[in-house]
Amino acid sequence: MALSTHTTTTGFLLPSIHSAPPFFTQQPHPSSLSIATEQWIQIILKYSRHRRLFTIRVEDSETTGHDWDEVLRNERINRKVLPSYLSYILAQMVSQKLAAYEPPKQDRSVLIYWRLPEEWAEVLHEWVSSTGHLNTIMTFYEITDPPIESPLSGLPIPLLRQAITILSKTNRAQIIAIADGEGVRFFPSTGKA
Amino acid sequence: MGGNQSAPKITAQDRAILDLKLQRDKVKQYQKNLQAILDREEAIAKQHLEAGHKDRALVALRRRKYQQGLLLKTDGQLENLQQLVSSIEFSLVEVSVLHGLKQGNEVLKEIHKEMNLESVEKLLEETAEAREYQREIDEMLANNLSLDEEDAVQAELRELQAAVRAETEPSNDVQLPSVPTSAPLVAEPVAPEERVERDSARIAIPA
Repeated sequence: MALSTHTTTTGFLLPSIHSAPPFFTQQPHPSSLSIATEQWIQIILKYSRHRRLFTIRVEDSETTGHDWDEVLRNERINRKVLPSYLSYILAQMVSQKLAAYEPPKQDRSVLIYWRLPEEWAEVLHEWVSSTGHLNTIMTFYEITDPPIESPLSGLPIPLLRQAITILSKTNRAQIIAIADGEGVRFFPSTGKA
Repeated sequence: MGGNQSAPKITAQDRAILDLKLQRDKVKQYQKNLQAILDREEAIAKQHLEAGHKDRALVALRRRKYQQGLLLKTDGQLENLQQLVSSIEFSLVEVSVLHGLKQGNEVLKEIHKEMNLESVEKLLEETAEAREYQREIDEMLANNLSLDEEDAVQAELRELQAAVRAETEPSNDVQLPSVPTSAPLVAEPVAPEERVERDSARIAIPA
């Protein structure tokens, strides 16, 4: 059985293991399970980075016509990931801190950390400095939906909040709340940590 | 918490600015919504036309026109909001500039208090006196030459001055008398000589 890589219509290169039917079933043997799960986690991270997707849900393995179709299904070998297996993979990702249950206290939907919150914090501060928004009040909407494309476009609010919290620990951000909503103000980094 | 003390306090102005910006965001989102509705209405109108319902298509287009008008109005309101936000932020900048100027002015006044005019004048006078005194001392020290030698030095200076004058003046004295005597004698022979030279020059060329 010749395994081959496959490039999806969105330009993402799926590894050859994705063409192997056993890859889509949850293996009984622990070591092969851990290897396969690790591969799945890598594919999910890379794909979400490639298409700037931030969430994945167990529901995505139950339905079609959404962004994760290309990865969770392989029509050529007539296989797909079952919801139970996906649920297991997601749990593994959360335990490795590569994802987080969002909204919290449920286990069907996760926020993917293809970039860690700390890295997002740096990217956020960098973008704010380079667009000259330091020391001015900004709304969350301004950051996630700027008129010009930025590395932060489409960032989910929970992830943005985490990044801001990390920055506020080093005194580089300050959240301001009023009756109607919230805003944030960023400060330049001083030399000291 | 100790770490948060260096972050500046949130003033009422900051809250006001945030409020304005949130309103601006709401208007932007409303505009996006309107745009989506416009596109959908256009698609609906097309569908009706294809199905042959001209009047329904017309209704959809009229709805669309009305919403386009709304979109334009919100554009105007958005601009108002943006202008208000910018002018508030600008006035904050102006306030900090004024503050800086005020502080600089006070520092200058403090420095001037230390440097009042009378003490400066007094200082300059004392310096002038000291310089004068020093000059007298120099003279006294330099005055160790005897009277005879002093006369000899003065005579040397006079001779040197005369020599310098002689170099510049004699050329003027010699030229004045010579010009009237030589000019009438030399003028006639020079003219025909020059003409002959010119004629010979002319003859030489064609040959």
